[in-house]
Amino acid sequence: MGAVKLSFGEVLHALLHPAKISDVGVILFSLRLPRVLAAGLVGAGLSATGVLFQGLFRNPLADPFVLGASGGAALGGAIAVFLVPTLSFAGVGAIELLAFAGSLLAMAIVWNLAKSGGHFAMENMLLAGFAIGTMLNAATAALELRQEATNPGMRILAAWLHGEVTVPSWTQLSFVAILEVVALLFALPLARQLNTLSLSEEYAAQLGVRVQRLQILVVVTGSVLTALAVSLGGLIGFVGLLVPHFLRLIFGPDHFRLLPSAALCGAVFLIVADTIARTVFAPAEIPVGMLTAFLGGPAFLYLLNHRQRSSSH
Amino acid sequence: MPAILEFRHVAFAHGERSIFKDLCFSIKPGETVALIGPNGVGKTTLLRLAAGLLRPSSGEILVRGRQLANWERRQLSCSVALVPQDLEVPFAFRVEEIVAQGRFPHLGFFGTLTAKDLAAVESAMEAVDITSMRNRIFAELSGGERQRVKVAIGLAQQPRLMLLDEPTQHLDLGRQIELMALLRRLVQRGITIVAAVHDLALVRDNCSSAILLTPDAPAIAGAVPELLRADLLEHAFAVERSGLDRYLAAQPLSPSNAVLAPPAEPGISDQNSAAPPKDNASEEYHEALPPQDEALRCRRLARHGRSWRNRDRN
Repeated sequence: MGAVKLSFGEVLHALLHPAKISDVGVILFSLRLPRVLAAGLVGAGLSATGVLFQGLFRNPLADPFVLGASGGAALGGAIAVFLVPTLSFAGVGAIELLAFAGSLLAMAIVWNLAKSGGHFAMENMLLAGFAIGTMLNAATAALELRQEATNPGMRILAAWLHGEVTVPSWTQLSFVAILEVVALLFALPLARQLNTLSLSEEYAAQLGVRVQRLQILVVVTGSVLTALAVSLGGLIGFVGLLVPHFLRLIFGPDHFRLLPSAALCGAVFLIVADTIARTVFAPAEIPVGMLTAFLGGPAFLYLLNHRQRSSSH
Repeated sequence: MPAILEFRHVAFAHGERSIFKDLCFSIKPGETVALIGPNGVGKTTLLRLAAGLLRPSSGEILVRGRQLANWERRQLSCSVALVPQDLEVPFAFRVEEIVAQGRFPHLGFFGTLTAKDLAAVESAMEAVDITSMRNRIFAELSGGERQRVKVAIGLAQQPRLMLLDEPTQHLDLGRQIELMALLRRLVQRGITIVAAVHDLALVRDNCSSAILLTPDAPAIAGAVPELLRADLLEHAFAVERSGLDRYLAAQPLSPSNAVLAPPAEPGISDQNSAAPPKDNASEEYHEALPPQDEALRCRRLARHGRSWRNRDRN
């Protein structure tokens, strides 16, 4: 599926004979397959981060996009693209590193603003996330305006701002994939502790959870995953909110079960969403970020309304 | 036998505001201790200090004869359980999953529940009679049911000392009496109870001793009848004598049969037969506190209760 129609037979042939160079092979291996894998990695990273941040803030509305972490990562990545292109390590690394720094910084700010009187107020969290996210997006856009239209970074930046999965190089793809798997494995034992943290910080501390250490590790791991996802797909909103929400309805709220299933379903979800975004108006493409915004926005509003009603009872 | 909890000259301040200056008391194993005093006097702070969640600015806190600072956090959580006032769970966890969180200090690195852990969770749910609601969503429970789940989390920790912060808050009379009966059963299982309680009638009927916290005055620890005196309460709660007399006179409740006779709630024999996995030390506890003692204590309590009331009428 895509702008160039490939028959099933052609795809199969190219897959079975990867050494043979053909048009189909080139389209498949340098365009379609990397993009599908990238979409999978982005979806997995964002959904897993959603689970981690929701456990951390004890709030099902927490999502890397809503909290401004994605915005921070995009700004960091943009700085890397334009200001320090020489920092790259084996072609990749600088973008991810600065995206991680940006994401971590955004989370640190939201954390400090949201935490009032020893606990997180939902309004503060959402407003802080909104403010930080908007500022960072604006800064990224300002960076875009200052550049010449011919700058090769422009294409990347425009894609990020719209939430479009880019076609990565195989080096970048494997780099992101390895880091993402490591981060997810690292997050698994944390997910169990997030269950205990669901009771309250005091309860968790009383039960022997080292609360502060857990919170820092979750913020760092979530920021790594966000940065990796943003480096491939930019600002794709609400994936980390939609996927965990529906999985909770099926598997219940246990974070240890949610984390791997969210990574898996998030990957499938974004591959499907990206395929739809790529093909509905073919040969033109719409950024997948628009699609997730149309789906996720109403879901976010529904959850917000639902929570307010249940808390007013 | 060393005290299970001892405060030695403990001082603590919240920022500028001094809560305790020189707090001293000691609690023996098997006691049921009420923590009484007006709002804001530091009852919750005292419980949090005892649970190791706050550090005193000076003085020493000893749990089972060992300084709190020398306890490894998880070890302490296996000995001391704090049941906080409120529990709001933002996700739709089932009761069973919530109670299982009490096993956290016993779990290994990957946090997998072993057969022993599952048995402890089961036993904790049986003890507070919530096995039938194991699959219900915690957030949908009533206040009384939530209190029982909170106590079950504490029991799943298999502690020697349980600290409860206003366990009867928001409960109707029936649920309050049920909860206090539950606490008496826990004492029989060898768990020492320290509970912040506002209702003095509940204190009188259910507790062996009490700690009275008074603003700007040293705390007093002692047997319940010694502390439930009009002059002490008048000072502690800053209430006029006439009002206090009316309150005390309006407590003509005769101690319930459950207090006069040894408690005969269902479930006591069940608990003995369905013995939870215990380490050796908690078996020692059972030896240290034979059921006869509990009955004796209850009778003594009831007698004291009457004399206290009589004195006030006179």
